[in-house]
Amino acid sequence: MARVKFLCDADRCIECNACVTACKNEHEVPWGINRRRVVTINDGKPGERSVSMACMHCTDAPCAAVCPVSCFYTTADGVVLHSKDLCIGCGYCFYACPFGAPQYPKVGNFGSRGKMDKCTYCAGGPEADSTPAEYAKYGANRLAEGKLPICAEMCSTKSLLAGDGAIIAEIYKERVMKRGYGSGMWRWKTAYADSPTG
Amino acid sequence: MKKPSPALRRRSRNTENRKGVVQMPGSLSTLKAPTLKALCAALALLFVVAQPASAQLSFKPTAEAVQEDKLLNALKEGDKISGRITIPDTNAANLIQPAGRDWRDFHRSKLPVIGGIAILGMLALLAIFLMVRGRIRPESGFSGTKILRFASFERFTHWLTASCFIVLALSGLNISFGRILILPLFGADAFATMSGYAKIAHDYLAFPFMLGVLIMFLIWIKDNIPGKIDWQWLKQGGGIVSKGSHPPAKRFNAGQKGIFWIVIIGGTLMSLSGWYMLFPYLPANVTELQFWTVIHAVIAMLFIAAMLAHIYIGSIGMEGAFDAMGTGEVDLNWAKEHHSLWVEEEQAKGHAPAAGGSHAMPAE
Amino acid sequence: MKVFIAAVVFAVIAAFVASFVLSGVQMASYTAFTTSGARVGDPGNNLVGPG
Repeated sequence: MARVKFLCDADRCIECNACVTACKNEHEVPWGINRRRVVTINDGKPGERSVSMACMHCTDAPCAAVCPVSCFYTTADGVVLHSKDLCIGCGYCFYACPFGAPQYPKVGNFGSRGKMDKCTYCAGGPEADSTPAEYAKYGANRLAEGKLPICAEMCSTKSLLAGDGAIIAEIYKERVMKRGYGSGMWRWKTAYADSPTG
Repeated sequence: MKKPSPALRRRSRNTENRKGVVQMPGSLSTLKAPTLKALCAALALLFVVAQPASAQLSFKPTAEAVQEDKLLNALKEGDKISGRITIPDTNAANLIQPAGRDWRDFHRSKLPVIGGIAILGMLALLAIFLMVRGRIRPESGFSGTKILRFASFERFTHWLTASCFIVLALSGLNISFGRILILPLFGADAFATMSGYAKIAHDYLAFPFMLGVLIMFLIWIKDNIPGKIDWQWLKQGGGIVSKGSHPPAKRFNAGQKGIFWIVIIGGTLMSLSGWYMLFPYLPANVTELQFWTVIHAVIAMLFIAAMLAHIYIGSIGMEGAFDAMGTGEVDLNWAKEHHSLWVEEEQAKGHAPAAGGSHAMPAE
Repeated sequence: MKVFIAAVVFAVIAAFVASFVLSGVQMASYTAFTTSGARVGDPGNNLVGPG
């Protein structure tokens, strides 16, 4: 079974935010919820790099470990999803996530922040696949249709790669060899501790 | 290939020159004058030669480019890698915060140990104490005469704080341990629903709890200043271990003063840390928020352990003690044995009956 | 007993009052993070549910 991952090639990312726009459009993500975002390191200085960041669907997901109601689950493909029916909006997953992926619809009050929302790898949630109920809660389910996440599909420079972890790691390595440099597989060591190099 | 007739030859800029070679537009070879061509070539060469020496080396992006490894290694404890974003929420600027991993370890590995030892340890200690020492009874029995110990408002404040504390403690323990202990018993849906209500209760009962702690501080601070008598009381173990030992004490003995300060200090820390969790955008960033959750969790465990001891001694641990908060009036003999100096003060003020006999009503 | 009941009732009432005050202070993300460059009307309820 394929173990899917995200890889952002920071040397190719031009901060166009196509990934962000695609995600927002595909799932009708309301303003204030940032499933995917682009962070720029050393902005304006030599060696500036941009990284597209969303939930990495970690191997040993810290969000799942700290959730008081255990609302997370990992699918067979390695996608980390959660149930908004069980979520009590306490915010613990946000404290534990190394990447700040969990988002909340409201800003105050431990526990009445609303249900946590995050990148689903375009794989929906526990509701039945590709139903309006699932769309209203979790957004589109592209994986059920055999497609890859829309952010990676829309990336203008193909810096954001999504798919089988081994394959995209291989693609990145080829790139590094060909061009002679690479700023690293950002966040792989943190997220995929079991196989940081693919 | 047959050359097209002159009439059909395209007059585009990409035209063959006289020698039949197709040229790109703008190339030097389209210039007719040989001298002009040579001049332009010379100028171009000048530009190349005039460059500073370093620019002639191949461009090395790796030399200055950010490398994830380097950034991660340079991070200090609690630091984050962050950058520039276009989102108004400043939390989004964090790219990697490794402290989340330590926070996760603490909450799933260390905190259960701290909580388990504190709470279960205290319960075990209390059970052993009950078995060994038994229930503490007044040696001279009950006299039947009562003395007023706590007025209605004091008892109201105590029960306000105490009842809130019970619900807060249980709902808080549910957050820390519910997943391990209760979820397997009831299943995910029921547990999540219950936890949702528990969390609501926890959020909102915190406010009357804070009010209760504040009032307690104001009305009882003057009787809870530590003094020399407390040291004597402590040296004799509070008389709790051996029968027949009744070190003198004023209104509150050293043990009670300890509980008072635990409640005030612990309650304040819980309130402060809880406040930051209630308003998650109040702290500067997620690292500070993690700090406050750790404070909240650790103090909670110790606080609960201390309150278990307090509840024990005030209920089954000591006969006659509960009346103080139940009806407000305690038996005179009980009071003389445990708070002898306080009884003398009250008798001097005329608030308490002299030994035995008349059932004098307190002036207040 | 009366005092205990009074205390519990007071606690529950205080909790309700606190809930109203807190809901008044509560802000949706799209209101909290409005900037001069982007003012948002109702962004819809997809993913976040009503309210």
